[in-house]
Amino acid sequence: SRPPLDTLGIPPQDEAYFRGGVIRCRDGSGRFARDKLNDDFCDCPDGTDEPGTSACPEGKFYCQNAGHSPITIFSSRVNDGICDCCDGSDEYDSNVTCKNTCWEAGKAARDKLKKKVATYKSGVVIRNQEIQKAKVAFAKDEAELAKLKGEEKILQGLVDKLTEQKKLIEKAEEEERLRKEKEEKRMKEEAEKQAADEKKASDASQEVDSQENHETVQEDESKVAEHHDGHAMSHDNHTPESESSVEQHDPESQDDISIKAAPADESPPEETSAAPTKEQESTPADSEGLSREELGRLVASRWTGEKVDEVSKDDKNEHEAEHDMPEHSEETHEDESDVPESAEDSYAGYHSEVEDDRHKYDDEDFSHESDDEYVDDHDDHVASYKSDDDQKGDDHSDFTASGQASWLDKIQQTVQNVLRTFNFFKTPVDLSEASRVRKEYDDASSKLSKIQSRISTLTDKLKHDFGKEKEFYYFYDQCFESKEGKYVYKVCPFKKASQVEGHSTTSLGRWDKFEESYRVMQFSNGDRCWNGPDRSLKVRLRCGLNNELNGVDEPSRCEYVAVLSTPALCDEQKLKELEQKLEASSNQRDHDEL
Amino acid sequence: WKKDEFRNCNQTPFCKRARTRAPHSLDAPLSLDAASLAVATDGSLTASLSHPSRLRPLLLRLSALPPHALRLQIDEDYSSNTPPHRRFQVPDVLLPDVEARTLHLPQPKTSAAGVSTFALSSDVDVVVKHDPFELTVRRAGSGDPVLSFNSHGLFDFEPLQESKQEGETWEEQFRSHTDTRPRGPQSITFDVSFYGADFVYGLPEHGSTSLALRPTRGPGVEESEPYRLFNLDVFEYLHESPFGLYGSIPFMIAHGDGPSSGFFWLNAAEMQIDVLAPGWDGASSTENGRIDTLWMAEAGVVDAFFFVGSEPKDVIKQYISVTGTPSMPQQFAVAYHQCRWNYRDEEDVAGVDSGFDEHDIPYDVLWLDIEHTDGKRYFTWDHSAFPNPEVMQGKIADKGRKMVTIVDPHIKRDSSFHLHEEATAKGYYVKDATGKDFDGWCWPGASSYPDMLNPEIREWWADKFSYENYKGSTPTLYIWNDMNEPSVFNGPEVTMPRDAVHYGDVEHRELHNAYGYYFHMATADGLLKRGEGKDRPFVLSRAFFAGSQRYGAIWTGDNSADWDHLKSSIPMVLTLGLTGMTFSVGALTGADIGGFFGNPEPDLLVRWYQVGAFYPFFRGHAHHDTKRREPWLFGERRTALMREAIHMRYSLLPYYYTLFREASVTGVPVMRPLWLEFPDDKETYNNGEAFMVGPSLLAQGIYEEGQKSVSVYLPGEELWYDLRNGSPYKGCVSHKLEVSEDSIPSFQRAGAIVPRKDRFRRSSTQMVNDPYTLVIALNSSSAAEGELYVDDGKSYDYQQGAFIHRRFVFADNKLTSMNIAPKNLGNKKFSTECVIERIIILGVSSGSKKAIVEPGNHEVDIELGPISLRSGSSSVAPTVRKPNVRVVDDWTIRIA
Repeated sequence: SRPPLDTLGIPPQDEAYFRGGVIRCRDGSGRFARDKLNDDFCDCPDGTDEPGTSACPEGKFYCQNAGHSPITIFSSRVNDGICDCCDGSDEYDSNVTCKNTCWEAGKAARDKLKKKVATYKSGVVIRNQEIQKAKVAFAKDEAELAKLKGEEKILQGLVDKLTEQKKLIEKAEEEERLRKEKEEKRMKEEAEKQAADEKKASDASQEVDSQENHETVQEDESKVAEHHDGHAMSHDNHTPESESSVEQHDPESQDDISIKAAPADESPPEETSAAPTKEQESTPADSEGLSREELGRLVASRWTGEKVDEVSKDDKNEHEAEHDMPEHSEETHEDESDVPESAEDSYAGYHSEVEDDRHKYDDEDFSHESDDEYVDDHDDHVASYKSDDDQKGDDHSDFTASGQASWLDKIQQTVQNVLRTFNFFKTPVDLSEASRVRKEYDDASSKLSKIQSRISTLTDKLKHDFGKEKEFYYFYDQCFESKEGKYVYKVCPFKKASQVEGHSTTSLGRWDKFEESYRVMQFSNGDRCWNGPDRSLKVRLRCGLNNELNGVDEPSRCEYVAVLSTPALCDEQKLKELEQKLEASSNQRDHDEL
Repeated sequence: WKKDEFRNCNQTPFCKRARTRAPHSLDAPLSLDAASLAVATDGSLTASLSHPSRLRPLLLRLSALPPHALRLQIDEDYSSNTPPHRRFQVPDVLLPDVEARTLHLPQPKTSAAGVSTFALSSDVDVVVKHDPFELTVRRAGSGDPVLSFNSHGLFDFEPLQESKQEGETWEEQFRSHTDTRPRGPQSITFDVSFYGADFVYGLPEHGSTSLALRPTRGPGVEESEPYRLFNLDVFEYLHESPFGLYGSIPFMIAHGDGPSSGFFWLNAAEMQIDVLAPGWDGASSTENGRIDTLWMAEAGVVDAFFFVGSEPKDVIKQYISVTGTPSMPQQFAVAYHQCRWNYRDEEDVAGVDSGFDEHDIPYDVLWLDIEHTDGKRYFTWDHSAFPNPEVMQGKIADKGRKMVTIVDPHIKRDSSFHLHEEATAKGYYVKDATGKDFDGWCWPGASSYPDMLNPEIREWWADKFSYENYKGSTPTLYIWNDMNEPSVFNGPEVTMPRDAVHYGDVEHRELHNAYGYYFHMATADGLLKRGEGKDRPFVLSRAFFAGSQRYGAIWTGDNSADWDHLKSSIPMVLTLGLTGMTFSVGALTGADIGGFFGNPEPDLLVRWYQVGAFYPFFRGHAHHDTKRREPWLFGERRTALMREAIHMRYSLLPYYYTLFREASVTGVPVMRPLWLEFPDDKETYNNGEAFMVGPSLLAQGIYEEGQKSVSVYLPGEELWYDLRNGSPYKGCVSHKLEVSEDSIPSFQRAGAIVPRKDRFRRSSTQMVNDPYTLVIALNSSSAAEGELYVDDGKSYDYQQGAFIHRRFVFADNKLTSMNIAPKNLGNKKFSTECVIERIIILGVSSGSKKAIVEPGNHEVDIELGPISLRSGSSSVAPTVRKPNVRVVDDWTIRIA
């Protein structure tokens, strides 16, 4: 039966618009007499005059749907033989009879809505907790960054000074080398001259001599450390004369004192390039020695405890290498070597932080594991739920832990001591002191680079947009997985997304941005498709109590989509809207029942 | 496009031999034995053709079909000195009644000079010169030639040989493939001349932006390859190339100053045709308006038709009279189709389906490509993606929509696949040269191909479409035949080896171009059987041959998403229309909207929809590597533009359906070159950018990115009215028009009445009861006329008279609707309550406010109204408001 024409398809709030005798087309294109309202002929191209019929292609039809929610449908659906409104009001003049399904549909919708509201309610709580945590963690990260930046500045100063020193030393050493070279050359010439004079000497014996001579040099060199030690100790408190140093260092050239001292600005001879190594080799001995021992301990206190043990333990190993590594904290070496106690402490500190921030580690006991194992282990976990390009600050974390502030003071002090005691105008260079400068330089610059690396890691992290309330902050170190058939899809927010099949991994994209006001995570520029675009992934976010990735799909070739349920989307505002909607629909039901 | 994978003429010995031969230089030119010339009992003329050096004579047969068609047949004479085997004559293409319609020819008059003459009709004579044999069809009165055969002495007919000559090899190599050619050379070559012709057209299928066939040899021709007719699956084909594509129709139409004419050679072997530029033969002065052509085929017989028309439509009608009328499509098939390789699963299908509804875009058919099957085993479903195909189709059908699944000819060689087992057991596969089942490679991997030449196998195949055999199919599921050239990935030129063997010991080389035709036929028969003869089949095929119009639609294959392919789609579709393929059992043609390969620029996509909405067959399709391109994925503005293009098509569906009716009766295509409607307007002869839809509408695509203006030639003396806003434009003038993104230039011809339905629904199904709009564009005599054909849109009841066919005539300020349905077609009736709700009159300045409807003598209002119901349209034309006369009735409406 045809409902009254003056309300047909018109929303209640618009009924007033149609009360006049002459009604305007909404687009201003014309006007129509009231008797042309819903007369099944389109007078206004925008559909104003035919809200209740299919006459205007651009019209809209309102169905009240008592018991459910009212909807507005395209005019093209009116009397087309398909029931679109649950109350059937769109098929008032067609050959189909639509049952009124609003009550059932409404109930189902309300139940669904109820469930949704319940999810949102719990979700909002989780979300708020996460936001609180995120705020603390974010502040912590910021604080750490600020602190690191301060430390970086100080350390940079030290490194600059040490660099200067190192340069001076190198210059002095170079000069010494040149001088020595010259001296040797002169001696050689003299010797040749002598040899030429001595007509009795045969070629063969000369060869033997020179060989013996060479061997002797080597032996002497290996003894240098001992010589040097003694010398260093004895000269600890005064500025050594270059002559005496040279005497000690190179007893063979005692004859040439006058020449040695002269060419201060010439490069040192090549042979002396081996000297620094020898010097370093000697440092452990230094730390047990006299006044510099304190210094040594000071530095060693961070590493040496174990190092000493280790030296004894690995006595059989090549002396040189063993000693090199802990002292010269080149990263490659450090990775291979055991970590000094103090470092372990600081990792422990970092570790606890990890535990705070990332509850998923709760069960793991890292304190019994060495640093390296920790790093590895950490990476392993990454494979399942942590970002694996996150190698960053882990080995720098020794700088980040609280309670370790003193390391900076210590290093400052050490460097100052070194600088104070070192007399770089002295020639020849005091090997022991040069070695200490180098060591301190290496230590400090290694530390600096670690700090810088950590700073850059933190800066990278903090520059991200974590949402209006930082609700996505805790996504940073998380990855989400979903298994679809033979593939495992892995989504690491702010980092990357991939598709894993057995051992082969295909990148679906690197983190790009949030879209649609934080309802979509976009990953772009993944691996290129044959004859297609670079792979990409859109992750649609929706409110859920757990972080769950599902519905991975590839609607267009190499353009993937997925859905991630997460409490982060359980927005309070949205909850209110849903509650209102639920209330409204319940009221309507009550009203309808009445 | 991998040029090296395909043979050119020089790599094709019969083509190279024939093409390099000079006119009149044959060693053994055939001559007619005057003594043998006789009228046979069936009324045809027969004679022997021979040469002293030939072992056997050939048999000539000439017969006449009304009104002005001459059939020429030349074959071996199997009655004498038996040849080693029978040459292949393509069966099942000519209508069965062609022989019965043959006229009884009079005894020819033979002159002493060795020339015989007889009358083909009262207007047309045939002159046969005996030595060498030459044939001319000419106007009886003036003696002006229209068509001639062998006037350049290039007719050669390689006789079948018993065995190889000493030192001769019959094998041919191409790339890694060897063609054993066990029967040796057997090619046929001849020249045909068209007189009074400015251009020749036809010979689909080739990529071309030119409507007329460009010369392929002679002065001024640079790239010299003949038009090749050899059905091939060409990856990323060129939009401009004479190389063969998916289908072949050896039919050519000539048009110019003189009477139009046509030539059709029924032969399914590889064919190469040269269109020769004037002066090709070294003649310094050429006859004005003559076009010479050279026809070469690898095998077969001469079975050729010469059609003489006065108008080009007469030529088409005669071609159709021998190869069959395009069948009437179902209503839904004329609407919009949505396809993609691939809609992956039921969820995807549901999503796309509801996407159209959400955006208020109508569509009628959703298509599933190869991935819907279980491992490319056709007639099966991938059960993980499509666990409930019937339910899925049911949901689509609830909205009045249909689905289409793909069924290709390659059958997976898999012992667990019942179809393969059955075909193997019954010996139904095409055999290779050694007699084993041919084993090729296609989508499923190792595949074999049913031998569709065999009627028994076609019957078997047709039965596979029953609901019982095709599990998961429902009455609203229709079929798509792809890859039926056939495509064989590891075969020579990506097809079947020529020495493969078919039913009746026919070599594949003899049949090749018709393989897809038989496959299409068998599939269409399957759907016909399935529907117990009551449901018009819809089968889209990629391969086609002369006669395919009887079995289904075809499309222009795997085109590319670029502007050039958009442009070439118009000449390609127009050419298909000229050669019968406007549609048939729903045989609609049309390029894939948006292109198949590559991602179209959104603007290109919009333009393609705007042009495509005018194609006879309107389908959006995309390659699986491309981005999604459903019409709502490119922003609101573009969504609106594509929606509008699709809406326009839906509003014109009554007009289109009426045109399909016309085509199914006469063969005159739905989409027509301008010269088909304006045969005297020389400006139109090579216009491949604009086209007519029926007699009343003209449209021109926009084929360039960011085009700001376009020059559109409007033929004829009458005005043309812009379809969007009713603005008038003068005829016989090239108009430089500003281009807007809203639409392509499109016009209604003054003097035409176009029926529309301006209410948009989800699909054409829901429009059945909607009222009509008539748009009347008055000519300079304030008159106009048009037609409306309506039937139930799906059954064959129309063949028994169940349809409405009205002619609307406007004259003397009065619109009259009259019945033009022939009486006594049968006892079935069709009726509808549909009324005419709106009559828009363009080209009238009268300020009348009232109209009187008779019978009933009731008064209705005339108001100024818009030409289309879009927001913002301005009221420009007097509109009769709600006359509400029924379309089934006779009535008049007089402007008061």
